[in-house]
Amino acid sequence: MDIILNQYYLQIVIFVLVNAILGVSIYMTLSTGQLSLGNAGFMSIGAYTCAILTVKAGFPVYLAVPIGGAAASFISLIIGYPALRLTGIYLAIATLGFGEVVRVIILNLKITNGALGISGIPTLGTKISKMLSSFGLSRFGGLTAQQTSNLLVLVVLIFILAFLVFFCTRLNRSRVGRAFASIKADESAAEAMGINTTYYKLLAFALGAFIAGMAGGLSAHLTFFIGPKDFAYHRTVEILSFAVLGGSDLIIGPIVGALLLTMLPELLRSASEYRLMIYGALMVIMMAFRPQGLISEETVRFWKRKLGRRIKQ
Amino acid sequence: MTLVLDQVSKSFGGLAALSDVSFKVNDGEIIGIIGPNGAGKTTLFNLITGIFPPTEGKISYHGKNLLGLRPYKVTALGLARTFQNIRLFGHMSPLDNVMVGAHCRTKAGVWRGLWRTPAQRKEEKSTRERAQALLQLVGIENDTDSPAGSLPYGQQRRLEIARALATEPELILLDEPAAGMNESETEDLRLLIKKIQMMGKTVVLIEHDMNLVMNVCDRLVVINFGQKIAEGTPAEIQKNPLVIEAYLGREEA
Repeated sequence: MDIILNQYYLQIVIFVLVNAILGVSIYMTLSTGQLSLGNAGFMSIGAYTCAILTVKAGFPVYLAVPIGGAAASFISLIIGYPALRLTGIYLAIATLGFGEVVRVIILNLKITNGALGISGIPTLGTKISKMLSSFGLSRFGGLTAQQTSNLLVLVVLIFILAFLVFFCTRLNRSRVGRAFASIKADESAAEAMGINTTYYKLLAFALGAFIAGMAGGLSAHLTFFIGPKDFAYHRTVEILSFAVLGGSDLIIGPIVGALLLTMLPELLRSASEYRLMIYGALMVIMMAFRPQGLISEETVRFWKRKLGRRIKQ
Repeated sequence: MTLVLDQVSKSFGGLAALSDVSFKVNDGEIIGIIGPNGAGKTTLFNLITGIFPPTEGKISYHGKNLLGLRPYKVTALGLARTFQNIRLFGHMSPLDNVMVGAHCRTKAGVWRGLWRTPAQRKEEKSTRERAQALLQLVGIENDTDSPAGSLPYGQQRRLEIARALATEPELILLDEPAAGMNESETEDLRLLIKKIQMMGKTVVLIEHDMNLVMNVCDRLVVINFGQKIAEGTPAEIQKNPLVIEAYLGREEA
């Protein structure tokens, strides 16, 4: 039991889950065909809003996280309205610029504590174990308090991720999801078919920002420290690479991408310094040989057919 | 008067694509717009549907000014179109393509879609049934799981019409629907256009297939080099010397 519930493993799984949530955030904006590289920016807005609320204003975490998401979403609406007139590479550059602007602002504001960042953020784990001990439940069976709280953090994160997956699949099979898909397929044809493309692009952008902001808030309460460096350009590239590796046709794509890319550096511990290089190389290789990512709609169709045949035999 | 174009001009840079084109479309008519390649027919459709604004002139629909309206608003007013170069949502199923067309006549937002409220389910069901009926109308089997982009060419053209009809238009603009179709497919298309007219809709048709145009249209507008050179019934147009010249060239004296 202790081997499986090793602190180190639990920590990795928690990072996988946070990254998977970030993967969902980029999936959301990509589902209208918009390549936004502002997710690290939205993540930092969420993280800082959330951390400031809990550390300085004493907000409970469960309130601060959605507020962080809402703050990111609000900012996304303001920059999204002009930015979404741009498409393709221009939107990518504009949002990339936005992310850098946010980072520099955070670096220079007093409330964000500049380059020093905010430390002493209460971690979700300690919050949960405090709550448990107030109920008189500090230990479960043979688990230590640390393991229990880590496990519960895991449960909370899995729950959030599961809800997001549920949200996206429900959305995909609805009127809004069809509007998203049609914009992704052919924006001007979608507009000619009566879809207010600006509205839906902005909606997807804001939803993606909300999810990224929430992921930021959660990660602030998992690492106990956040600084402007955590949300620099490399973070954006990392989030994007989840979608590039896993594929962005289906929601499972970026989640698998996040899983692989978070586990990979841990497996190659000795090569961890080359992580960004490996990411870069992976992106180039994927673009050259499988631009649709590991999992695309065809992949699913192919396996369905193949498995279907095997079952018939 | 349904659709009125009043001295519409459009130039791209210094190039005049259309100059001073005026014509009217009456309720329930089938109007054909013909002219040689590059005459400005598709530009005309793009102006009507708000893809880009005219340089000069007015376009109104049921007395309502269409200028400055974004394409989705024009569609909501009851004008739908198809595209000359097929622009289906290729990876989506034929049924989903048609259901996208119903977007502006339905309401469910994120919240209702997420929780599948009774209202949303009812709306979704009726949208699906209507879409299936439209697929049947244009003659596409809707049990196919394959994406719209992999349908045969003629079916893709008909699917575009179904998608446009799903927006519940009063007036439908068809841009070369018979392009690339063989004779029997074109005949099916003729029947389909007649059916659309019988559904009480007005049809504006750009087409090169003269056989189809002469058989199906009530009136024709002929455009050459961005100018309207003739207007009238198919019989009149066939005898019009200007039209003959535009298509066949001038006889050497």
